[in-house]
Amino acid sequence: MSGLSIPTIFALASTQLLPSSHPTVHKTFARLSRPSLLSLVLDWLDERNQELTAPYLIPDDDEEFDAQDLYPPAASLDSLRETYSELQAGKGSKRDVVDRVIEGDWRHGITLYQLAMADMQYLYDHPASQKWTALKLARLSREEESPDPAPKSIPRFHPATFLRNLQNEVLPDVKAHYNLDRHASLPLLILRVFIIESPYNTSLALAQKHTTFDTSKTFYIAFPDDSPFVYVSLTTSLASSGSSNPRSENKSVRALVLEGIPKAFSRPRERYKLQPTNMSARNLAALIDRRGGGKTNAAGGGWSIYTEEKKDGSDNPLNTQLPTPEPSLPDDMDQLNQNLPRGMKRRAHEDNNIVKRRKLLAQGRFGNTAKADDGKGIERFDIRLADAFPSFNFANTEDEYPLPDERPVKRKGRRSSITMVLDDGAGEEEDAGEFRPDIRITFQGSHVFAGVRELVEAGVVDGMRMPGWMTGEEGVSCGVVREGRIRGERGSGL
Amino acid sequence: MDTSIISNEPEDPIGAQLDEEIASLQSQINSLKSNLKLQTSTILSSQATRNTLRRLQKPTQEPRPQSAIPSTIPTDTSPLNSTTTAQTLHNTTNLYRACNSLTTFRIHDPDPHAVDNGSILALRLDISTSSKFIAPYYIVLNKPFPSSPLLRVHRHTLPPYIPLAHLAERYLPHGKGAVAMGSRAPGQKRQDLNKFARALRREVVAYHNRVAVIKGLRREFRLDKKGRGKGKERERVIEDVSAADAEARQVRIEWVDGRIGRAVVGDGGEVIKCVVMGEGGRDWESERAIMGGRMEGVGERLREGIY
Repeated sequence: MSGLSIPTIFALASTQLLPSSHPTVHKTFARLSRPSLLSLVLDWLDERNQELTAPYLIPDDDEEFDAQDLYPPAASLDSLRETYSELQAGKGSKRDVVDRVIEGDWRHGITLYQLAMADMQYLYDHPASQKWTALKLARLSREEESPDPAPKSIPRFHPATFLRNLQNEVLPDVKAHYNLDRHASLPLLILRVFIIESPYNTSLALAQKHTTFDTSKTFYIAFPDDSPFVYVSLTTSLASSGSSNPRSENKSVRALVLEGIPKAFSRPRERYKLQPTNMSARNLAALIDRRGGGKTNAAGGGWSIYTEEKKDGSDNPLNTQLPTPEPSLPDDMDQLNQNLPRGMKRRAHEDNNIVKRRKLLAQGRFGNTAKADDGKGIERFDIRLADAFPSFNFANTEDEYPLPDERPVKRKGRRSSITMVLDDGAGEEEDAGEFRPDIRITFQGSHVFAGVRELVEAGVVDGMRMPGWMTGEEGVSCGVVREGRIRGERGSGL
Repeated sequence: MDTSIISNEPEDPIGAQLDEEIASLQSQINSLKSNLKLQTSTILSSQATRNTLRRLQKPTQEPRPQSAIPSTIPTDTSPLNSTTTAQTLHNTTNLYRACNSLTTFRIHDPDPHAVDNGSILALRLDISTSSKFIAPYYIVLNKPFPSSPLLRVHRHTLPPYIPLAHLAERYLPHGKGAVAMGSRAPGQKRQDLNKFARALRREVVAYHNRVAVIKGLRREFRLDKKGRGKGKERERVIEDVSAADAEARQVRIEWVDGRIGRAVVGDGGEVIKCVVMGEGGRDWESERAIMGGRMEGVGERLREGIY
């Protein structure tokens, strides 16, 4: 540990040690499950990671050896690896492992890299722990400038350059530790930013007890491959809850980093800005689907059939075989009743044909998206209806037009069983003789659009009359509906 | 417990054998089915079949005495006829798709609130790369403006590295002063679907060509092969060739000796810029070799310098 602390503009090094007794260390490790923690520890014991995550071994001079030591230091990496492999095979409490790591094998301190790894592991174990907001990197061009004949649509992302530029954008009296990690299954690069409010990047600054590392000082930026979008795990709109909030300064730091992202992407004669895209979700797979680098960005809902690669090669123009008609139904009629939501009382004599028709209708409107098990669900979908009252009233279609096969009494029960919250706003206003009630609808659930699809299949929502935004084809998680369509700033296609 | 284990033991091989048999029969059925489909389409597409069908159709109108059961002929031929018609149509469509690579079709937007009553024009791009057709790209256009027939991109399946927004802005403007394609009204910004489609196709093809060239270079330097060190006559010189950005406009070349090169490929496939850095500064010779022509020839030109 160096005796001198000199203010610097550099980022915190990954090798920087944090004392093991620091409350953050314990908190971070205790969050992880036992298997995750053990696999993490074994990662640290890997040969390649020794520079950053070396454990405490028996020192060469044997003087410090203490017989009272609860966790005697291991002689070599291999023996330590064995110990932890045994722990992995056996059973035990998580506490023992955490204690062993903190008080035993890493008693000399935990590097920031280890802390970052533990945090990332937590993120992978609990994918829904962060709410991600997708932002678009858009080329900033001056008005008088004639547009470039062939502008690059995607800014090039070079991690090292990006981090250096980002560090330059962050204030010098704030230190941050950056850790980049590749997502295991998704085409994503996740950057973890960990902020410490100290102008020093030495261990001394870290060791101070009063530097608390609460979760608000850690946030994540995800960079999907080949995509002009970034996902940030922080809210873009800063809540104005008053300056007395002790976290307000953290928020300003976050805002600063957020501002720094497009600047870090920018190069001379190539400037970028961040644009909101009205899409935020906890599910990264859903974001990749709607704001990723693939073909599905602007073809959601029923349009998704155009993005699918036909397995039988019927898309290939050299295939002379007649395309077989679409399979009418993905699953058997027997399975149908099991798929329906619980507590649904169906009429015993309900015609199978009607059910089949609804299923086909749902297939037509949703394509192969919005399946409950596709893992691409968004958990919240906010809509504000900005239509004049008499012309469009689709939020209440099921009330106004009784469906042939559903009795009104049952419908009422259905409405309450789904978590569809109808917020009737108070601000009703007369606008040019038109009555435009302020109606806000929030859909919530583990997979909103799969729920809507299930309702269509169950006949609660009329699949024919259902507006397009209820299928999720617009690819937004909040929006304003006018004339039955979501109004985007730039139109829906681009 | 013991008895159950013992009684299970002899059953297992039989069960496994049966499973195996079932699986083999299943695969046989599948292959026969696909074979049948292939034969059907081949037979239906042939001119001889169509002639025969035409001949068969005639007796239905004027049944001849020598035909044994005239009543069965129409029930036999009518599905055959419809299938033949469908097959002919399919063949024609495929011919257009394969040769023209840009086809259009009309669909209907299922959204009940869709603009223009849900009428939609879709473009389909069938691109072939590395002697194979890849999954087609679709661009769906609608006319969202009630007063004018201006087109706008509604949905598309193009990945973000195709600058669709830019092309749409250029060839399908719909802001102030935009004029529809067929109209006589004067205006600086005239929509042109033909130019749009051509430019788009050009971009897509260029992208796939760039990717194909990189793949070709990798193959040329045997970078994807597993067993590289077979003791061939030539030692490896190039360590890696890869696209450095999403649009595959920049190609990164790594040499075994640590030199790193970066080449920028233009729209037409020519090398525009190139820098090769080694330990001792820039490697002008390699740069000249890379710069001297199109991207496809980079491998050959580099080889000339090496061997």
